[in-house]
Amino acid sequence: MASTQLTDEELFSELKHFGVTPGPVTESTRPVYLKKLKKLREEQQQRGSRPGKTRSSGAINSTSGGGNTAGSRPASHDVTHLSSSRRPGRKSSVLGFSSDESDAETPLKRKGLNHSSRADRSSGFPPQPKIRPTTPSVANKSQYGVTSKLNSNNSSPGPGGQRSVSLGWGVRARSSPEAEGRDYDESGDEDDYAGEIEKNSRSLNGCGASHLNTSKLAGDYSDSDEEEVGGLSVGDQQRDRLEPNVRRSHPKAEFTSHGVGRGSQTGGAARQVNPPESLNMVGNRRVEGEGDEVKRMDSDSSGGLRSHNVPRKSIYVSLAENHGGEAGKNNHVDGEDGAYRSSTSRFAIGLRPRFSNYSSLSQTYRGNHSNHTAPNHSYSQAVLKQKLSVPEDELLQQFKREEVASSGSFSAHYLSMFLLTAACLFFLLLGLMYLRMRGSGSSEVDGVIKSHPFGSDFDDTYNKEDKDLILKLLLNLHDHLAQVAGQHDCGDQQHPNRSLSIDEASTYLQTQNPEFEDLVLSSLEWIIRTGQDVGIRLTGQVADDPLTDVSEISRLESTHPKMPFSCRFRRAFLTVISRVILIAVVVGCVWSVVCYMKYRWRREEEETRQMYDMVQRIIDVLRSHSEACQENQDLQPYLPIPHVRDSLVQPQDRKKMKKIWERAVKFLSANESRIRKETQRIGGADFLVWRWIQPSLSCDKTSIPSKVWQGKAFPLDRRNSPPNSLTPCLKIRNMFDPVMEVGENWDLAIHEAILEKCNDNDGIVHIAVDKNSREGCVYVKCLSAEHSGRAFKALHGSWFDGKLVTVKYLRLDRYHQRFPQAQGCSTPLKASSLHVNTTSTMNTMPRLQHRGSANSSGFS
Amino acid sequence: MSSTSQKHKDFVAEPMGEKSVMALAGIGAALGKRLEEKGFDKAYVVLGQFLVLKKDEELFRDWLKDTCGANVKQQGDCYGCLKEWCDAFL
Repeated sequence: MASTQLTDEELFSELKHFGVTPGPVTESTRPVYLKKLKKLREEQQQRGSRPGKTRSSGAINSTSGGGNTAGSRPASHDVTHLSSSRRPGRKSSVLGFSSDESDAETPLKRKGLNHSSRADRSSGFPPQPKIRPTTPSVANKSQYGVTSKLNSNNSSPGPGGQRSVSLGWGVRARSSPEAEGRDYDESGDEDDYAGEIEKNSRSLNGCGASHLNTSKLAGDYSDSDEEEVGGLSVGDQQRDRLEPNVRRSHPKAEFTSHGVGRGSQTGGAARQVNPPESLNMVGNRRVEGEGDEVKRMDSDSSGGLRSHNVPRKSIYVSLAENHGGEAGKNNHVDGEDGAYRSSTSRFAIGLRPRFSNYSSLSQTYRGNHSNHTAPNHSYSQAVLKQKLSVPEDELLQQFKREEVASSGSFSAHYLSMFLLTAACLFFLLLGLMYLRMRGSGSSEVDGVIKSHPFGSDFDDTYNKEDKDLILKLLLNLHDHLAQVAGQHDCGDQQHPNRSLSIDEASTYLQTQNPEFEDLVLSSLEWIIRTGQDVGIRLTGQVADDPLTDVSEISRLESTHPKMPFSCRFRRAFLTVISRVILIAVVVGCVWSVVCYMKYRWRREEEETRQMYDMVQRIIDVLRSHSEACQENQDLQPYLPIPHVRDSLVQPQDRKKMKKIWERAVKFLSANESRIRKETQRIGGADFLVWRWIQPSLSCDKTSIPSKVWQGKAFPLDRRNSPPNSLTPCLKIRNMFDPVMEVGENWDLAIHEAILEKCNDNDGIVHIAVDKNSREGCVYVKCLSAEHSGRAFKALHGSWFDGKLVTVKYLRLDRYHQRFPQAQGCSTPLKASSLHVNTTSTMNTMPRLQHRGSANSSGFS
Repeated sequence: MSSTSQKHKDFVAEPMGEKSVMALAGIGAALGKRLEEKGFDKAYVVLGQFLVLKKDEELFRDWLKDTCGANVKQQGDCYGCLKEWCDAFL
């Protein structure tokens, strides 16, 4: 922009055009306004670029109309219309473009469109598998379609079309024969893309370079292009702009021209347009059809295209994949694409506006190529169809992605669940195994018993058979006893006794094996001899006596009962549960005891505090009475205790405060030296009275102002207060000193004081005294800012209790954060009339005194 | 109430008179020196600029940034200070 050449007046008028009313443009404000103008212009161009592009494309059409045949021109218009119509839909994606899927989608879409269009056009390519234009990016497709139409060299339908499109492109750039050749080349696998691209890279270099440049400058390029394009309405101007852009970006201008020259099929004018257009288109193509382009690129113009192609290809391929379901390739391409895609997509997006140009160009080219004419018609149809299918494809793509994403998360969720259940099962298994182990204990394997606890003597004494017999006998016995014990333990009524008598044992063993009979006693003897626990316990007639001889044995019992599994489990479960409950009960007891102790302690403290408060009040009453007595000699210098009590304690509280009162009286009689208790006769009845016996101190009463307002320190004007009240919340500082406060309800006194001060202001809804603040802060919330303003005026700068009070405004949300209960307050608070009238509160007493001292409580 | 600095409060509390430009909130020694070099040696000159820009926040901020390199916070402080002063005294 030639903003530097603007004079002040021009700058001024430019700004006015944008609806801004600027101030004077002086040498100091100039740079600021220049920046603003630039920003406004950029915004305008961004907004206007899309519609501008249509314009530009139209312009191009018109400008390049020379080469266009009549037939192609309408087609081109169609295309442009298509592209432009699509553009509005695109806008959002363009605006939001970033290197992510959305970007990939848009270029894909466009490519797809192109592909489809290409497919239509190029009917001659049967084996054009991959690049099925399923791309969601309509724009791509449209672009592509246009290109394909243009190229029309390759008339392979469907995928072939895409390729032909790219080829056509190439053709445009070069010569159709070359393109043809390339088309054939490309008809190979898409995997050949790279190869082909390589091959033709050289030829493409020129254009490729331009592509590169364009891609490199994707950001700038597209921006600047859009700016340029949007800004100018004249096609020529556009072209010129594009051209310089292209040229600027791409040092290898000759390549472009080279490419252009190749594409000499087009008219000279077209060719001229070609480079910028090709660049545009390259950019577009990049988006569209890296995939297709790739192939075509080879043949085609720009090596730069190629380089862009590769990224394009990735995009394209991805597009193609999406569309054509050529997943393999897509993945491959996608993988390598990565950055490319984003850049290309960006580029593509940027180029999209140019697409219209491109399409118009392609139109022209088409016109140039005789081949094109036929495909053109089919192309338009194809384009339309493509367009229709593209949105569906886009949706499909999105759904696919969503599915993948959702399944991924789905499996992750299930994975975690699975792990959790596996862990639980593991622990369960562990527990069961443990139980089984416990239950089975030392059960031995049937069969040959290899080890026995009897020592080597046993081996020596008997031969092998006997040994086996004995051991088997013992094993049998052991098992039987274990069973019996187990059943008994489990509550099975079959065996009322846990142990078996020796006779029963012998009978049992005999039933097992007749050979056992002889060896029973000897084996039992061996059990006695070995001191170890073999699982059988022998008891004599008298329990707990150690057995020394076989003959003493009367009962046998198993020490390792074998219980059925369920029984074991049940017992274990019960044990655990009972233990847990026991522990819980113990903990609960301890905790309740602690709580109770705390409660009691708190209560104690509370009562003590109340007692002291009462004592204080009594002293005050007595003192004041005594002073009153001194002034007025008619009064008796003592006060009956019950009278004092009744005047200090409200009737409804008397019962509650009885205990406290008693304690206070006791305290006074024990600790207060200025009060003497005596008995006096008043009105014929004996009363216990208190007499104040301290001579009054003259300075005492007037030196302590308490909780009264004492005038204003300075008049409030604009200098020291905000001119208007800002929020309905106030923070009042320096109303008290928390260290010095005594009594239990001094904060209520402060509430009262504030309300009284603002008694004409019916808008105070919440007051909170921060008892712990060193600054003596009080927070007030009013109904509205106006009320708070009035309160501000009433309070700020006043003297209260000998301290200068300051007020400031608080933010409402902060206030609510701090005092959530204030959010619901909406009823104005009133100063309690009791405070003014009753004589029972401590404030009133000093008040009575101060009244005389002419302190003005309110301030003027 | 948003937190305003002491400088702000001091400035807004009274007519600025011949106060130096460093009395403005957000303008410290370095920025003040730069402003003085550009010719804005008194607070009222900056006020003049503020008024010439029609008290527009964005423009004033931009100007401040260009002239003395103030960061966003300093711009905000200065703008707020001047605005409040104008509200109170203008």
